[in-house]
Amino acid sequence: MSSLTYIFKRLFLMIPTFFLVMVIIFLLVRMLPGDPAIAMAGDRASDADIQAIRERLGLTQPMVVQFWLFLSNTVQGDLGRSILMRSDVTTVIVDRLPITVFLTVYSVVLSLLIAGPLAFVAALNRGRWPDAVIRTVFQVGLSMPVFYIGLVLLTFLAAQLRLFPVGGYGDTFGERLYHLFLPSVTVALYTSAIIMRNLRSAIIEVLDAEYVQFARAKGLPARLILGRHVLRNALISTVTLLGLSIGNLMSGTLVTETVFAVPGMGRLMLEAIFARDYPLIQGLTLTFALLVSLVFLMTDLFQSRLDPRMRLQ
Amino acid sequence: MLKTVLGMTIAATLSMPAMAQERGGTLNFARYDGSRLIDPIYADRNPDIWMVGSLFDTLLRGSADGNSVEPGLAESHAVSEDGKSVTLTLREGVLFADGSPMSGADVVFSLDRARNPDLSPWAGLLGSIDSVSADGNSVTIALSAPDPTLLSMLATFNTAIVSKAAFDAAAGATDQDKSAGIFAAKSAGVGSGPFYLCGFEQGASMDFCANENYWRMGADGKALPYLDGVHFEIVPDDATRILRLQAGEVDAAEFIPFSRVAELEADPNIKMQLYPSTRIIYSPINTREARADGSPNPLADARVRQALNYGTNKDALIGVVLHGAGQPMSSPLMAKATQYAADMDPLYAYDMDKAKALMSEAGVQPGTEVTLTTLAGSADDATIFAALQQMWAPLGINLVVEQVDGATRGAKNRSGEFDIHTYGWVNDVNDPSQVVGWLGYTPTAKAVGTGWENPEFNSLFEEAAKEMDPEARKAKFARMQEVYAEAAPLLFMYETPFAVAVGNAVDGYVQTPLGNNIFDEATVSR
Repeated sequence: MSSLTYIFKRLFLMIPTFFLVMVIIFLLVRMLPGDPAIAMAGDRASDADIQAIRERLGLTQPMVVQFWLFLSNTVQGDLGRSILMRSDVTTVIVDRLPITVFLTVYSVVLSLLIAGPLAFVAALNRGRWPDAVIRTVFQVGLSMPVFYIGLVLLTFLAAQLRLFPVGGYGDTFGERLYHLFLPSVTVALYTSAIIMRNLRSAIIEVLDAEYVQFARAKGLPARLILGRHVLRNALISTVTLLGLSIGNLMSGTLVTETVFAVPGMGRLMLEAIFARDYPLIQGLTLTFALLVSLVFLMTDLFQSRLDPRMRLQ
Repeated sequence: MLKTVLGMTIAATLSMPAMAQERGGTLNFARYDGSRLIDPIYADRNPDIWMVGSLFDTLLRGSADGNSVEPGLAESHAVSEDGKSVTLTLREGVLFADGSPMSGADVVFSLDRARNPDLSPWAGLLGSIDSVSADGNSVTIALSAPDPTLLSMLATFNTAIVSKAAFDAAAGATDQDKSAGIFAAKSAGVGSGPFYLCGFEQGASMDFCANENYWRMGADGKALPYLDGVHFEIVPDDATRILRLQAGEVDAAEFIPFSRVAELEADPNIKMQLYPSTRIIYSPINTREARADGSPNPLADARVRQALNYGTNKDALIGVVLHGAGQPMSSPLMAKATQYAADMDPLYAYDMDKAKALMSEAGVQPGTEVTLTTLAGSADDATIFAALQQMWAPLGINLVVEQVDGATRGAKNRSGEFDIHTYGWVNDVNDPSQVVGWLGYTPTAKAVGTGWENPEFNSLFEEAAKEMDPEARKAKFARMQEVYAEAAPLLFMYETPFAVAVGNAVDGYVQTPLGNNIFDEATVSR
């Protein structure tokens, strides 16, 4: 199957996935106690006011009708109007999307930059002190909550040493790299710990493989062996893991965007949930689902490039 | 703070006779939450309400002590003999921020908007107004019945004056669309306050620029404000907000958690300000005979509620939750700073023996389970629960916790599905009727969801709403406070100040007891 046909097939298969996501999120938000009318009018509003707002928002219609409206409007690209932001959900999301995507991609790049070299050092020094040190440090990183790491980094690197700004997110690309370094590192530390462990054992496994021993025996320079044979083969499982941890990275933005005051989709999601802003929660969930699905697709495509034995089907 | 005040006094004395007024510069202010729409009639969340006064003016202004009104856009006002009409004379030469003159037509437009129940959630507060008319600089408000709160209402954010011309010119089918359009366009024309909105990034930042046409004068005889502008950044996380101030990235950070106050007071680069507020922290108690699930409610007995109040060591709570930065409630219905607040201090002074006696009188079985509903993620609420659980254990109460988010708590308050839950209040209006209507008057909100109903209280409240004689009105509020304290539909807890930390460069910033952020006379020296 050619990659193009494969991509189309995968995109087609996303339709039932998305339908399920829509059903689940639609029901989930409505199962929460409280509703947008209460959140909107505030605790002080009278019951009659609340009822009037419910009617205006269409919440008094039967659930089936509400879901049909949600479904048909979404298919036409209309995610509805955010109650909280008083503007179209699509506009609000398009506004916040770039910053979250930037933060996520930045975190992925940083986790690879951190995990990659250290995994090699650990694997090549298996069982000796560098291996032990690296593994211990990452173990600690894994067991600390994200918001705590974030605050520690902010306190020392930003507030005390003034190496980085505490807040803001910059206007130009360079400024963004600088301003979003700490939030990205915070998210990246956790992911890199997972990737490092996986990559290290994958490298060790590959190093013991017969084809590597053969390459050595053949007298290939170590750099070539590591680059061409070891890294490429060790990366296969790491790419899968990285793809899977995109979900983690995205949910991590809920916390980091709040701690670092970055106005992205994660913080918006929190605000939307607290305000019971059904259209916004639904729109954000669909966007997150879309992003994750696309990442999974890219992961599979990339894997088939790395390992020709894997067929696209 | 004392050190700073002394320092300022000495500096002021040394530089006598005339110190040049500090002017210019932009104040960078870190907020806990952002504004969404700053329009007098649509502002319904504190981050919106508290900024209205910076962009718009009201006809009258609250006095510094909060107990009377002073001239605002109206330089004088008179109430008719029968109390059924108020005449105001508008100040000459007031301009909106775009330079267009403010007139009687703007006042009629603004007040008609404000009292339209289809538009404003606050319209009920202006229910006594029959009509508003203008003749030149004279505005007449005709009332259907005398209204003792009307003058206070004319000094409240929702009656602030907007430009009719700006609204007429704005695109949009409905008033709400026009308002949102004006806000999004960041146009200077809509208000006559000390600033106008000149920058806005949803969820991130907001900018106010000085209104050069503002009518109030500063100490140097020139127009206020002293600042060129204010730049707001939204930093929802408490710790990050403080770090930004400490790193010098902002000049001020609001809503400092009380656990950090002492540390910031010790910081030589920071002035920790604790502004007196009308904020009270209390917990409604379900007074219904049966719980929502149908089981008998031990809290329906007033003696049990009194016992819980006596068994709560308020000073200890203030110690552990506020690190001392607060005081026990001294009126059962309002903060000390509210007009007509009765001083009942000590209100249910800690008395374990009395509490135990009341419990056994009421025949409460040891081990009785009571649920405290708290806000998930709130460190204050977690501490309150832990403290109350210990304090009430000797009374035979087995206190369990249920953690929910704000919207869930609101829904439970409405439906009565709770035993006791944490809550707070800040006055929006400089008059006790709003808070008393909320906490005690049954028709408004079932006495803050407690289900408490007292015919005497309700009729006193209705009479006070018409009573024009201040002394007689005060007496009615005094009796309401007595009745309420006795019935104890609440766990009466404490009042807290507004904690704002500012850099040493900042002076003159004020947060009023109602919470309004006032930058009119703020300065920043760079």
